[in-house]
Amino acid sequence: MQRKITTIMAATALGLALSGAAFAEAVEDTLTIVTDDGDVTLTTKAAAPAHLEGALPEIYSGWHFRDDATRAMQKDDFDNPGMVFVDLGTDKWNAPIGKNGESCAGCHNGPESMAGLRAVTPRVDEKTGKLMIMEDYINGCVTERMGLEAWGTTSGDMKNMLALISMQSRGQPQNVAIDGPAAEFYAKGKEIFYTRYGQLEMACANCHEDNYGNFIRADHLSQGQISGFPVYRLKDAGLVSAQQRFVGCVRDTRAETFKAGSDEFKALELYVASRGNGLSIEGVGVRH
Amino acid sequence: MAKDAKPRVKVPKSAAAGEVVTIKALISHQMESGQRKDKDGKIIPRSIINRFTCDLNGVNVIDVALDPAISTNPYFEFDAKVDAAGEFKFTWYDDDGSVYEDAKPIEIA
Amino acid sequence: MTRQLWLATVLACAAVTPALSETAPSAVAYAEGAVAASLSGAPGDAASGAKIMTTNALGNCVACHAIGAMPEVPFQGNIAPPLDGVADRYDEAQLRGIVANAKMTFDGTFMPAFYKTEGFIRPGAAYTGKAPEGDLSPILNAQQIEDVVAYLLTLKE
Repeated sequence: MQRKITTIMAATALGLALSGAAFAEAVEDTLTIVTDDGDVTLTTKAAAPAHLEGALPEIYSGWHFRDDATRAMQKDDFDNPGMVFVDLGTDKWNAPIGKNGESCAGCHNGPESMAGLRAVTPRVDEKTGKLMIMEDYINGCVTERMGLEAWGTTSGDMKNMLALISMQSRGQPQNVAIDGPAAEFYAKGKEIFYTRYGQLEMACANCHEDNYGNFIRADHLSQGQISGFPVYRLKDAGLVSAQQRFVGCVRDTRAETFKAGSDEFKALELYVASRGNGLSIEGVGVRH
Repeated sequence: MAKDAKPRVKVPKSAAAGEVVTIKALISHQMESGQRKDKDGKIIPRSIINRFTCDLNGVNVIDVALDPAISTNPYFEFDAKVDAAGEFKFTWYDDDGSVYEDAKPIEIA
Repeated sequence: MTRQLWLATVLACAAVTPALSETAPSAVAYAEGAVAASLSGAPGDAASGAKIMTTNALGNCVACHAIGAMPEVPFQGNIAPPLDGVADRYDEAQLRGIVANAKMTFDGTFMPAFYKTEGFIRPGAAYTGKAPEGDLSPILNAQQIEDVVAYLLTLKE
């Protein structure tokens, strides 16, 4: 009897493995968030963008791959622990932190002036031809306009500001450009996505394209979308940016990682963002 | 004052006289337990919020003693009966002597 | 030279050089993916193999493979085929080859090579994210590979 049960279990497991990236594994649910300004419903599932050429049948926010309790935390802004960091970002936005008392608000007025920016970054700066992630824009202001030392790419101040600016685009579809001057960065990011790094020889695609919906030990693999970033990660009890997450993933392949904010990870962020073109920016997601 | 301690509270804008409403209160705080060691093996000193209170129009609603096992960013959800319009006052007490306060008005609809 | 000193010298040599019968990762001979001889020159220990397969910092085979014979191990993955009955499907030499470097049997497989030290892109010092200092070690050593093979050989249906 024991053996029979084992066999049945094995057959079931084999069935799951054979069906590969079974999208039934993404939980069916709708992300409607209770906010101070009423309910907001986000697009967390969409048709795959054409440039993926069928690599994914549909695209899903990582929210669909988290458990019931974690998903629920994102359904109410008060229950979302990430909102505390948005508040801290607001304090910083209004504070006269510059060398001569400059503040973000002094030039940009309210943070709502940033609406839409998060949805189109990373993007190529027209004047310099450089690929800019949000952190680059923020540090541009911090160093050039405020006369301060640059903030660390993954520092608390930086991530709080990312959270505040990202919130201004909540509900807008992610829509990064991949053509024109962005094409070379897109190509570089794509190459990184499919390169098998480290002693474990794992590419982003091995987990997040070939095996999303499956479990690697206790981890329910997502598509690696970043429309929800920065996220509040329960495991870290704090905000995690996309750049920071890339470092963690590549480290876990027993590889020498690229640095947060490096040219490689900036290109990767553009490519990964483009895989989610059409998903709503979530402001600050909740993951575990 | 602990780094980045920031309170957030949620109170309905209005209630019927005698209605029981749900209050949510959270504060960002590292809640260092005093039981962890740093890289050199030295104990990291305890630094937690040790007491949280909520009053409505000067009458205590809840008074909580917190101990080191409480998680980072402690979050309380509780009910309060509202008999008259007024103000909820929230107070958090830090080990380092800091006191953090927030307040929210409520009307009778 | 006293007998005692002589013995100490032999022991010292044994400590710094692997046993003569051990095969280095770069010297493993694969025949259609299979490896006939023990990599350590010694037989494997199935009990140790079971531990290696379920320990995160070692083999962590259960991250991807389910093993029905280990119901006490939580969170077994479903990335790769379950291992129940694997000894009915492959012989010892084939299993040794698959554990040492599965890419020699299954071209392009997701499965990491556990006994390989060269040919990686940006390998790191274990899970630190930093560049390695000196030569890489294989993820599992020769005896650990043999121990895993010994456990896999018990998985018959």
